[in-house]
Order: sequence, then structure tokens, then C-alpha cells
Amino acid sequence: MRAARVAWMFFRLGALNELQYRANFFVAAFQSMLSVGVAIVVLKLIYSHTAELNGWSEAELLCVMGIQILLGGVIHAAIQPNMERLVEEVRDGKLDHALTKPEDSQVLVSVRDVRIWRAVEVISGAAVLGVGVARLDTEIGLGDAASFGGLLLVGAVLLYCFWLILATGVFWIVHMWFLADLFEGVYQTGRFPIGIYPSWLRYSLTYLIPIGFAITVPAEAVTSRLGWTTPVGMLAFAVALFAFTRWFWFFGLRRYSGASA
Amino acid sequence: MSTVEPLARQNPLRAMADFYLTTIRTQLQTQFQYRAATYMYLIGMVAEPVIYLVVWTTIAEQNGGSVQGISTGQFAAYYIVWTLVRNMNIVFTPYGWEWRIRDGELSAALLRPLHPIHYDIAQFAGGKVIWVALYLPIAAGLTLVFDPVFTATALEVVVFLIAIWGAYLIRTMLLWLLGMVTFWTTRGSAIFETYIMAELLLSGRLVPLELMPGWAQTLSDYLPFQWAFYFPIQTLVGDLSAGELVGGLGMQALWTAVGAFLVWVCFRASVKKYTAVGN
Amino acid sequence: MVEVTELAKVFRVPEREAGLRASMRALVRRRHRDVRAVDGISFEIGLGEVVGFLGPNGAGKTTTLKMLSGLLYATSGEARVLGFVPSRRERDYLRQMTLVMGNRNQLQWDLPALDSFELNRAIYRLGPEDFRRLRDELIELLDVGDLVRKPVRNLSLGERMKVEIVGSLVHRPVVLFLDEPTIGLDVTMQKRIRSFIGEYNRRYEATVLLTSHYMADVEALCKRVIVIHHGRILFDGPLARLGEQFAAYKTIEVAVADGAADLGRYGDVIERDGDRVKLRVPKADTSRVAALLLNEQEVIDLTIEDPPVEDVIELVFAEAAEPR
Repeated sequence: MRAARVAWMFFRLGALNELQYRANFFVAAFQSMLSVGVAIVVLKLIYSHTAELNGWSEAELLCVMGIQILLGGVIHAAIQPNMERLVEEVRDGKLDHALTKPEDSQVLVSVRDVRIWRAVEVISGAAVLGVGVARLDTEIGLGDAASFGGLLLVGAVLLYCFWLILATGVFWIVHMWFLADLFEGVYQTGRFPIGIYPSWLRYSLTYLIPIGFAITVPAEAVTSRLGWTTPVGMLAFAVALFAFTRWFWFFGLRRYSGASA
Repeated sequence: MSTVEPLARQNPLRAMADFYLTTIRTQLQTQFQYRAATYMYLIGMVAEPVIYLVVWTTIAEQNGGSVQGISTGQFAAYYIVWTLVRNMNIVFTPYGWEWRIRDGELSAALLRPLHPIHYDIAQFAGGKVIWVALYLPIAAGLTLVFDPVFTATALEVVVFLIAIWGAYLIRTMLLWLLGMVTFWTTRGSAIFETYIMAELLLSGRLVPLELMPGWAQTLSDYLPFQWAFYFPIQTLVGDLSAGELVGGLGMQALWTAVGAFLVWVCFRASVKKYTAVGN
Repeated sequence: MVEVTELAKVFRVPEREAGLRASMRALVRRRHRDVRAVDGISFEIGLGEVVGFLGPNGAGKTTTLKMLSGLLYATSGEARVLGFVPSRRERDYLRQMTLVMGNRNQLQWDLPALDSFELNRAIYRLGPEDFRRLRDELIELLDVGDLVRKPVRNLSLGERMKVEIVGSLVHRPVVLFLDEPTIGLDVTMQKRIRSFIGEYNRRYEATVLLTSHYMADVEALCKRVIVIHHGRILFDGPLARLGEQFAAYKTIEVAVADGAADLGRYGDVIERDGDRVKLRVPKADTSRVAALLLNEQEVIDLTIEDPPVEDVIELVFAEAAEPR
């Protein structure tokens, strides 16, 4: 598939570029350890006052956190840099450079930037998840593990779609400086299984902002809470959202006119 | 010698007041223009306390209505006031210093006969007015949903109104100090993140300090963080005596003075380093 | 007003070669090179003078201006402006000077320039009436009356530049450091700004130190020129004498009846336009060559000129081209 090849090419280039800066890796590793440390402190604090949170044990919550950090790493490394660059280029009228290349524009603006050293967060998240899984009372069957992997992927796609839809908004509203803050803030809700939030918040987290789907559902797979209706629904929603995202992107692009002075 | 008449000068105090008023006024105009974007930012910001609130009220409900003596209504009050205090203590980000240096904004500021911190203080102060105004409907919504419980006397309200500005000044000094790090290393983000984590745990930002383990509470008594979060919130939500209220303001003043002194020293050193190489 | 003695600025620059292996090595052991951006310059500028600072890119002009405005401190030597040592950045000094750099924005982006001027009034502690009178004078001089009420972001590049200049002069500095003030502007705007600077200098007896690439800026404003290259001063004196000292030649423009004639033996042919030919001849030979032309050719028109200043400057730089 051409898109995959283009993505791999940019990834390699970006990675090689970034790998030259060894220090960035250490800084990223340090920061990741720091935030994992704080997350653990919070967890300990919570579980010093209660045995389970909305039906989730400490080990299970560790799994949720692990997934949130892992997906966060994917977002910070691969998705967010591209979306921020897109917003910046539209504001400065420089998007034309990307548009005149003979590649699918959506693919290009989505894969050309990568902050490889933030992939450290993926490793931390996986580690936290691993510890959580090890401490679980229930065993994970092969089916659960497979659906976990698949759901994680679907979750990443959902988050990507969400980011791209937000970023496409820049074709109408030029001032999107709040994007990263807004996303980070709302993404923190994914630290906990969305069941604890009041229903109005829960529904927005699931549909408006696919965080519920992206994080809690894979966590449910790992903790053996999942039936088959939710994964199927999630997959269907992802397909629909991806189609909409792609349509919306091209719709916005048509509206685009070099926004320079 | 010059034959041109010298210009009349204003007295320094009057000029400083003029500067602050003009900056605040112009900032009000600018921030008002960006109210839609500011709303989006506020929503992202409000997510944090709402998460904490939901988690702790869930725990409280499971524990029969309270955690360590704090009821669900009191948690709601804590975190809703938290958000107002948070609005007030957001200041110039230490990450911003890198752009300032690169864009030449710092050089421009160094050419003017005024310490750049005044501009930051005045500018953000102007913004606060709009932010708080935009936040009030959100606060009303949160109040309806989460049912906070607290009583506030007149004295507490007055002290609160002063304390939020104290929180603003303390954090201005602290984050300026952090920003100075940019002059000395390119890996400043590691230091910024360490600060944010320490502040999160020791300031009352994450949870009311009573819920933190004893050693953390003792530690935070020696640090400035709680005076920018916990104290202002407690003036309204907690049951502090008149002595504690006024004493708290005194501590805020003390930490602001300490911070200001450190900023003065560090900025001089940082500018010296900067002007060795320039931009 | 401005006294500079043996001023020097040396930068340590890391050396890096291309290639992956070299960058790996560089992570472990950094190598440095000393760049003498300013290499011991001395000059003095008096009250009300307008001095042009000429030099190619990297000559040390901007570095010198930064040292004189306090943004950079010198490696060695001394500089004093208005009696102050610039690097101390004393308030009293900053209130009397200004540095204008071509592409920098100092005004608030989202607000009308008038608001930024008000801010400056407070920063420079100016009394309101005096300030307003001066501000209005400057606005009128540069004809930006209708521009100052619009948000700065809505102005074009040239308009923004004009308004920025007013903003940097609104505290009526007596020493102006202008770094490429007309760069990137169209010809009309350049002329506008030139005449404005000239007028400001006349009205307020301001001392102006101006760097530029454009000879037109220098010719319009500066009676005195300092030529700098590789951090050293090559020439300091009246513009008129620049040609005398460095140009060892003159140009003869001649129109002959026989358009195809080869005039190469009279001197270097630098231009040919129909039947008009421009010859470069050594200064000493000028009258001899002119006489020869008049005798041997059927001359319709003959003009003897000093070479254009740009050419002289080019030669000056070419001569000093070897870095030391």
C-alpha cells in the first residue's frame, strides 16, 4: 500500500534525524519516568482510602493507566506533532508546499513529522501495563489478548481521527493555540475507567472524544470484562469516524486559501 | 550642547501606575477578542479538577459519604474553588522563554528602561479579569452538577480576594525563576517537569493537603507551593481562624518577597550570560 | 556622543563537519573556532552627525550596533555613548537611545499602534502633553495618521515598518542606531523613511548611526561613512573622499559615429549600449585617453565621471577580501 510506504519513509527519516540527538532521549525517558512516578503516587493515594474504585481493583486501574500512557506516547510521538504542524502551516499560509506534492494530502500531513524520543512513553506505558497484568487476579486468555491488541490499534485510529478533525477546524478558525492544552486536559480523563464519570461526561467521552473507546475498552479486554458487542460497536464506529474524517479533511481543504497577509 | 528643549518627565510611581493600567486595559481588549479560543482552553483546564472531583467523590460515596472527614459536598467545594484559584495562578510558561529569546522579544525588552517582569505581571493580570468572567458560567454549571457545600464569612471572602492575587504573584516569581533556566541549558524541560510534579503533589493541587501522607504535609510547609493553591482555596472552603487567615496572607507576602529577590539576582546573572553572546 | 576605542568582539563557534561519524564524534568532543566579528575598531561620532556604516554581510556592522546599544558586551576595548557604558544598560541611557532592526516587531500585534505608543509613554516616563505633541509630530512627518488606528496585524509590511519606526522614536531618543531600516521595502517607502530620518535628525539634533546595503540610503543621509570589513575599519571619512581614496580609476562614457569601432585599446570596456561605450581608465591616464579618443575617433559625445560608489565599495571589499 502506497500510504504505508510513504509513512514508513517519513518515519525512518524522522527517526534517523532525531536519533542524532541522544540527549533528547534521556530527557524524554526522565520525563516519562517522572510522570509514571506521579501516576503511581496518585494510585497509591487512592487505594489507601479504598479497596476498589467503581469496581476496579488497583491492579486493574494500573492496566488502565498503562494503556493511557502507552497511547499517549503514540499521540505525542506520531500524531500530535503532525497536527500541530498542520495548524501552524495553515496559519502561515505554508501548507501549499505539502499540497503540491504528488502524494495523498491526508497521508502526507499525517505522517511527515515524528518525535521518536517520545516513543519512550510507549515503553513506560507498556511496562506499567505489564505490571498491572501480572498482578491481576484473573488470567488473560488468548482471545482477550488478541482482542486487546486489535482494540488498541482501533483506539489509536480513533484518537488520530479526533485530532485530525480538530486540526481541520483551523481552515475556519485560525486561532487554534489552545489545541494541545485542550487535548491534554481532556485526555487525562482517560486515566480512569470512564464508568466513574457522570453519564453526561461519559457519553461525550465516548462519542465526542473517543477516549472512552480508545482506553477503557482495551482495558476491559485485558481485565476480562468484555463481551463481543462493545468491540464490534467500536470497530463500526471507527470505520464510520475514519470515513467522516477523510471527507471532512477534503472538505476543509477545498475551503483553504493561502492565509498569508 | 543641544539646543532642543528637554521633554517633561513624569514621577516614577505615577509612570509605573500608568504602565500597569495601560497594559491591563489593552490586554482586556485583546483577550476579549480571543474569548472563543480562551473558552476552549478553559475547558481543557477544567478537565483536571473535574477528574479529581469525580474520583474522590466516588471514593467518598463508597466509604459512606466522606474520606478522612471530607464529605462529597466539601470535595465539590474544594475543587470548584480550585478552578477559580487555578485561573488566577496561571502565568507565563517557562517554555515560553525559548521563543522569547529566539524571536528577539527579549532583546527588545532589554532595550527598554523597565524590568520585563512588569510587563508579564501587568499583561496576565489584565487577562485574568476576562478569564474569571468567562469562567463564572462554567463554575455555575459545575455547582449545579456537583452540589458543593461550604460557608464563607465576610472576612473569609475579603481574604480570599487578596489571597488569589498573592497566589498569582508567588507563581509569577516561581515560574520566572524556572524560565531563567533556559539561559543556562537547552534541557530545561526536564527541570520544568520536575517542578510541575513537585507542585502537583505538594501544593494541594492534586488533593486537599490533609489527604497526603504526613511527611508530604511537613515538607510542603517549608515550600512555597501550598501558598499558591491550598491556602487561597482554604480561606473560602475551610474553617480558618482570623489569625490563620491573616497569617496566611503574611506567608504569601513573605514567599513573594523571597521569590522576587531570587528573580532579581537570577535575571541579572542570566542577562549577563545572554549579552555575552547575544541573539 | 559616541566614543569607540579598540572595540573587539570574539565569538567561539563550534566546528562541525558533515556526516554521521563526525556528528557522533562531536557529541563527545566539541571543537571550537574563534571568530573575530569585530577586530579592534575606533571612531568618534559627534552630536547631530549622521554616519553610515557600510560593509558586506558578516562584516561586523550589526555586532557593533549591538555592542553600542548594550545588547552585547565587548570582548575587549571600550565604548561610550552619551558618556554611558552601554553594556551596563543604565535606565538613563536606555531612555535616550533606540535601536531599530529591520525585521523585528516591537508593537503589540492585535492592537492599534496608538495603544503601543501609550505603553511606551509610560515605560519612558514621559509627561502626557509633551508626549502627545511629539507623537503627533512624528505621525505627521511619516504620514501614518490613518495607519495608527488599525490593528498592527492588518498592516502591510511597509506600513508596519513605518509605524514601528514611529514607535521606536516616540520617546525622542537623541541617539539612533538603525540596522538596515529600509530592508525589504519598495522604493517609495525607502525614500519616505530616508527623508523622515533626515528630518528627525534636523529637528531634534539626534545622532544617527545607520547600517545599510543600499547605497541610496547612505548617499541620501550620510555625509560621513565608515567602511567595515572582517571586523576592521577600512575607511572613515566624508563620502566624497571614498572615491578619491579607493577608486584609482575614472569612467569615460563616449559615443562615436562608428558604432562598431573597437575601443578596447583605450581602456577596459565595461559597457556597450548601441553606440555608447563606457570605458574604465586609470585615473592618471584620464586626460591622455580622452585626448586620444577625441583625436583618433569621430566623437559625438564624451563624459568623464567618477565611478559609482557601489563599484568603489565593491573594489574596497575585493581588496580586503582575504581573511586574516
